Amino acid sequence: MKIGISEEAVFKWVVIVVVAAVSVIALTLLTRPLVGALWGLVLVLVASWHGYRWLRRKWRES
Amino acid sequence: MESATVALGHAHADEHHGPPEAHESSRIDKQTLGILLFIVSEVMLFGAFFASYFFLRVVVAPPSWPPEPYELPVAVAGINTAILVSSSFTIHYALEAIRRGNKQGLKLGLVLTWMLGAAFLFIQMNEYVHIGFSARDLAFGSIFYSLTGLHGAHVFVGLMLLSFATIRAFRGHFGPAAKDHLGVEVPGIYWHFVDVMWIVVYLTVYIL
Repeated sequence: MKIGISEEAVFKWVVIVVVAAVSVIALTLLTRPLVGALWGLVLVLVASWHGYRWLRRKWRES
Repeated sequence: MESATVALGHAHADEHHGPPEAHESSRIDKQTLGILLFIVSEVMLFGAFFASYFFLRVVVAPPSWPPEPYELPVAVAGINTAILVSSSFTIHYALEAIRRGNKQGLKLGLVLTWMLGAAFLFIQMNEYVHIGFSARDLAFGSIFYSLTGLHGAHVFVGLMLLSFATIRAFRGHFGPAAKDHLGVEVPGIYWHFVDVMWIVVYLTVYIL
């Protein structure tokens, strides 16, 4: 089966990004911008790792 | 003789006419590959602007950011962010509606998305008018207008795509099968991308 993409899958990512952004905003306003930036960096790294694993799994299944 | 001519005619009918068939991957369908390559190129474009922004902010490191006496309208931009995020929900509603065969829902979702997108652009232009500095005021002004303007241009393109999709929806061009609403699905994916990029721009420029 070929790798495909749908709006539904992208929308799930939008919701995840919105939730992550709210957590960064909350942390920045409660502490300091540096803490928010570091938390944002951690989230980006985790998302990149998940994205890489998802793509590798899909590539093997295709 | 006549039967031979007919047989020859059939043989010609089976042949492929026009330009040669395009090569495509056996692992990834061409629509997915196309939109992935497009989004990757867009991420690199925005990446270049973010690199400039962080260079100015971290490496050049002025005493304060934004430089005195400039201030950014964080609350207004926050409301604008909420408007754009809402538009992702309305375009998703439009697509869910057409998947179930609800053409009225598709039209409603598309019109709402277009209005929210237009409201976002209007508020951003209003912000430019009242913000109190221009792109010529320090490197801060240049990078602020470059980043938010680049994103605004993407919203404008998205609105054009949504306009075409909305006109086609009112003309009844779309149906519940996946291949019959590709003209909404692809602008929908683009719109989500524009939304996610704005969240990153808002976090970087206004919050951090």
